[in-house]
Amino acid sequence: MENPELLQIENLTVHYGKDTALQIEHPISIRKGDRVGIIGANGAGKTTLIKSILRLVNYQGSIHTNLTMEQIATHMQFNEYTDTMPTRYIMEAILQTKISQDKKLQELISYFEFEDCLRKKYSKLSGGQKQRFTIIMVMMQDAPLTFYDEVTSGLDFETRQKLVEKMVSWYKNKDSSLCIVSHYYEELEHLANKLLILDKGHVIDYGKKDELFQKYCGRAVIILNYSKEKETVFQNYEKLASPAHLIALSCETEEKEKEIIELLLKHNMDYTRSSSDIEIIYTNAKERYSKQNSI
Amino acid sequence: MKENKRKTVSLSMITYELRNVTGNPFVHIFGIGLPIFFLFIITRIVVSNLQDTSLIKTASTSVFLGISTIIPMAMILMGYSVIQSQDLEKGIPERLQLFGIKQHITICNRIISELIFLSAAIILYFIVGIIFMDLQTPVISGIIIYIFCILIFSTICFILGHAIATLLRKFSLTYCIVMLLYFVFMIFGGMMGITYENMSAPMQAVAKLLPVTYFNKDFYTIWTGKSYNFVPMLQSYLFLGAISGVLLFIALKKDRRKGNLS
Ligand SMILES: Nc1ncnc2c1ncn2[C@@H]1O[C@H](COP(=O)(O)OP(=O)(O)OP(=O)(O)O)[C@@H](O)[C@H]1O
Ligand SMILES: [Mg+2]
Repeated sequence: MENPELLQIENLTVHYGKDTALQIEHPISIRKGDRVGIIGANGAGKTTLIKSILRLVNYQGSIHTNLTMEQIATHMQFNEYTDTMPTRYIMEAILQTKISQDKKLQELISYFEFEDCLRKKYSKLSGGQKQRFTIIMVMMQDAPLTFYDEVTSGLDFETRQKLVEKMVSWYKNKDSSLCIVSHYYEELEHLANKLLILDKGHVIDYGKKDELFQKYCGRAVIILNYSKEKETVFQNYEKLASPAHLIALSCETEEKEKEIIELLLKHNMDYTRSSSDIEIIYTNAKERYSKQNSI
Repeated sequence: MKENKRKTVSLSMITYELRNVTGNPFVHIFGIGLPIFFLFIITRIVVSNLQDTSLIKTASTSVFLGISTIIPMAMILMGYSVIQSQDLEKGIPERLQLFGIKQHITICNRIISELIFLSAAIILYFIVGIIFMDLQTPVISGIIIYIFCILIFSTICFILGHAIATLLRKFSLTYCIVMLLYFVFMIFGGMMGITYENMSAPMQAVAKLLPVTYFNKDFYTIWTGKSYNFVPMLQSYLFLGAISGVLLFIALKKDRRKGNLS
């Protein structure tokens, strides 16, 4: 049985002046416990979708939810706070609490190593510290539905990994729903169980990650870094669409997979096997969508 | 899930807004330092020009009452609109709203904080005046009308400042405009060297429309309870109040159409 619905979107259109930034025809519903990864190129409409759900932009169509605005927590792509006081006081006012008396908040602050930032003003924080400031407050809200719009953008590799690790373990045993916009697919491997793929304001597909993989990539895929030699070796094998620097070999059956792997071993070639790779899902979904829509 | 019931006015939000309101150094310079500085300078100039020493009390009290209008102009008209426009430019009200702090809550708490800060500044100004100046003791009605007038004037400054900040939404532009207004009010109000009597007729016509003028020119009469024709002064409040009200109306209407506030 499926979890209860938290939010339904139907026939949503958002215009900015003459431009259409978002046009969603088929209904989309977010259910309790969903971890939706929202992906798509720059300008695809990801932030616009979040803003319309939060009623921050005007839209046509219907977004239905029983949640109140207080039950939705949001990390926006850009978050700004006043610069007239240290972050500690902003945090205490927003969360209506005292850090010294709030065990849960203290825990989160030390979890994100934010102690030393509390006495600084917001503009004096580094990019990653700014992100953590908002994340701490968003997590404190403990909302049934939470949006994260590019939490890890602009962070170095290590900080990004640590942040994602912390988010994964924080939400591990919770049944709250998350919608996470990200351009880093490896983050979503851990954080998301559904994908919403957007392109130029349209929904390319929405569904469970594994189902989307089956739909677009089949049983499993073997991914190789592109080289001329590999292309020649595998020229007669069925390939999936992939970014130019990769070759994605489809493994419809176990036999096929064994055959490919034997060849790989014979030629001493490196490879990755996956039955969930988001990049390959994205590339193939986009390709199929544009084929269908150009006929 | 924690029940998130936010009271419209709360101590934590007032403390937050007080830090906001007092966090801008210009407010302290223009709203506290400058009026006290002006009080000393202008009183000295005026008194040194007096032939009749029996008029010293009258002159110093008159200057004292007139200069006090700088406080709401600097703190509310300038100070408030500047932080408000800065916040709007950065999208802070929107950000707070996403944390469940509605914009009207922010405004309420900010008004209270401004009022606290303004009262503190006026009290400080009075303490300085009473200690260092030779002031005329007011009649009860005089002090009551003074408090009433300064509050109404502050309210008009607030409406005007809020309207300008909401319309312009840019710190730099708002700052320019309110700074300009601040000086216009001071010049036409008779605080920058030209008294009402010495103004040309067109200047006088403008000055008559500003409440500041009456603080400078006539408030001594009210302060001491002598008979006074309140009509021109009342008209100036109605005039400036009406302009501010209309601006605010336009600003809020434009805001609502843009889909902000909801
Ligand atoms: N306030 C605005 N006024 C006009 N156009 C806008 C506005 N906000 C967004 N757009 C346009 O709408 C489209 C979608 O923007 P959106 O911010 O939703 O993209 P996004 O998917 O979040 O991209 P990114 O990955 O770069 O954050 C873009 O073409 C953008 O230029
Ligand atoms: Mg975006």
